[in-house]
Amino acid sequence: MSFAVEVNHLKKSFGDFQAVQDANFFAASGEVLSLLGPNGAGKSTTISMLSGLLAPTSGDACIMGHSIIKEPEHAKASLGVVPQDIALYPDLSARENLVFWGKMYGLRGTVLKSRVDEVLEVIGLSDRQKDHVGKFSGGMKRRVNIGAALLHKPDVVIMDEPTVGIDPQSRRHILNNVKELNQLGMTVLYTTHYMEEAAELSHHIAIMDKGRIIAYGTHDELIKMVGEQTRIDLTLNTEAEKILSAWQKTEGVSKIDSADGKITALVDDSNRVLPRLFDAASKANVRITSVDIQEPNLETVFLHLTGRALRD
Amino acid sequence: MKILDIAFKDLTRSFRSAFAIGMMVIAPLMLTGLIYFAFGGGSNDSPSMPAIKVGFVNLDVLPAESPLDAPLGDNIRSMFFDESVESWITATDYVNETSARAALDKQEIGIAVIVPQNFTERYLSGNQDVQVLIISDPTLSIGPDVVENMVTMMVDGVAGGGIALETIMERSQANGIEPDPVQFPVWIQRFGDWYADFQRNLFHHPDKAAFVVVAPSAGETETANPIQKVLGLTMAGQMIFFAFFTGAYSMMSILREDEEGTLARLFTTPTDRTSILTGKFLSVFITVILQGLVLMVAGHYAFGIIWGEFSGVALALTGQVIAATGLGVLLIAFVKNTRQGGPVLGGGLTALGMLGGLFTANIPNAMPAAMNMIANFTPQGWVLKAWRMVMDGQSFGDLLLPFAVLVAMGAMMFTVGAMMFRRRFA
Repeated sequence: MSFAVEVNHLKKSFGDFQAVQDANFFAASGEVLSLLGPNGAGKSTTISMLSGLLAPTSGDACIMGHSIIKEPEHAKASLGVVPQDIALYPDLSARENLVFWGKMYGLRGTVLKSRVDEVLEVIGLSDRQKDHVGKFSGGMKRRVNIGAALLHKPDVVIMDEPTVGIDPQSRRHILNNVKELNQLGMTVLYTTHYMEEAAELSHHIAIMDKGRIIAYGTHDELIKMVGEQTRIDLTLNTEAEKILSAWQKTEGVSKIDSADGKITALVDDSNRVLPRLFDAASKANVRITSVDIQEPNLETVFLHLTGRALRD
Repeated sequence: MKILDIAFKDLTRSFRSAFAIGMMVIAPLMLTGLIYFAFGGGSNDSPSMPAIKVGFVNLDVLPAESPLDAPLGDNIRSMFFDESVESWITATDYVNETSARAALDKQEIGIAVIVPQNFTERYLSGNQDVQVLIISDPTLSIGPDVVENMVTMMVDGVAGGGIALETIMERSQANGIEPDPVQFPVWIQRFGDWYADFQRNLFHHPDKAAFVVVAPSAGETETANPIQKVLGLTMAGQMIFFAFFTGAYSMMSILREDEEGTLARLFTTPTDRTSILTGKFLSVFITVILQGLVLMVAGHYAFGIIWGEFSGVALALTGQVIAATGLGVLLIAFVKNTRQGGPVLGGGLTALGMLGGLFTANIPNAMPAAMNMIANFTPQGWVLKAWRMVMDGQSFGDLLLPFAVLVAMGAMMFTVGAMMFRRRFA
């Protein structure tokens, strides 16, 4: 199997702080690989190293066989990077933006013109191509932001949390775009902290936490890591601290965590464990106001691996 | 090629910014325009002081047995009707004070000059009470002073003539020679002619004056109108100030791109960082050149400014561009973000401009010697010096010194700034 992206022992330190610690993962040609993890996990730092923005402290990575350290220009030429924030010139039109970014990838003349036309068609902005990007809605800007990375038909597209802070409709549009790009044969490296997106899009998922890759595999492979465990989300009529320590000691509870007024527990058998949780709550004079039992998912995996919820 | 693409993109953005255009071109033209209109520009092809309208009443008569050929009143009158002043003084004769006052009330004239009856006789006899009456429109400021000075100079000249005559007589008698009274009118006439020429030349040809403080170099191109020279220096001062502002403001695009995220995105493309920085420097350089050319052409056609010989202008403009780009790169290298940029550009460049003498360029000797010395440590001061030399018609060779200083200053500032940028974005 040929790898479009190979990451080998990649490290990045900022002084004493180790943002990325010995990261190893691979993305085969034509697949979608998601880097899943909470904010601050090191996803963006990893992406920044792969796209040439940051120099690794040690280790290396190859994009389409080109080392990011030894052949950075070749590696970059194979990449299309979609930044997390909109990175466009607001006082230039959509077309002018695409023409400029196309030139930066070495496109010229009729090839550039036809690629700009094609991309404008793909992102659905042909009729607004002469308007300044600054006048566009957030969703339209996102589409131009993605389009600028596709002009040179890259082998690998890196998308750094492209759905942060946008409406559900635009989010759906972007997710569909990712699938379409992948169907065209592009390898997509997608970072997100939304486990639903990773589950929907990815062939492989690398879960990151505190600068480390803590799990890597397909969605099903990762789910199997938690075995038959079930996730239970509970809300209370009072603060979680009152009951958390009692529930941690309850038989059948393997992991428990609280965040944003919600308690998430990983249990062996919800039918057996739930009555015990209610008993303990009753003794502590705490009333449970809602219960949500979920089949194992990536959130469960993350909780299983770290003892914390992904949203923390 | 990518360097040009980046420079072109930056130029496009700059010239689409109303603020940038305002600061680059409109502000310096407007400030110079204020000076232009203050001097009555807009009514003629070339700017000049508004014409002074003088009404003249000459009641003087030549006393009997006077050694003079004509009464002094005629001499004073001749000054206002002389062809050498007709471009800025319009004089009209009136028969008496009443008619002159009536014309003044109707604003047909701005100033009335009345030489009283027997003025010559009383003046030559040493009468201290005799005086020429000058009545003026109270709303006028410059004109009455000019007229008063002209009359005073003429009367002083006559007094000087009297003193000269007495001296000749004394010295002749001391040497045992009795002066011939028949020669007195000849001497007085000769002195009067010389004095009239002297006054005329003093105004129109300062190089013929008795004391010439600065001897103009050979080949000096004289501006047709002194107001044009004032405007030229004003425009040069404004152009230099805003050129440096433009240099720094254009360079600030690198900080803006850093904040917009486009700089980081540029670094993810297969474009090396040297090309990216060079493209941005190039756009600053081109912007300052274009600004200078636009201002010079606009200044010439709008205000009639004569910048000087082409080779000298090219040298001064090149020096200005190099220095402005260099200082822009250096200043912005010290600035962390665009919010810091405003105060740094506003405060720093204004202070340097003041020290360089840009705001007093059109006022001779406005700066004390110590300040002139300090101006030599600012690039703005050297650019102003170069433009002053070009406008004074100094030779290409004379300009090489300020040009060399500007190139050295610009190169040094650019190198330090570029190194800091490379380190920051490494």
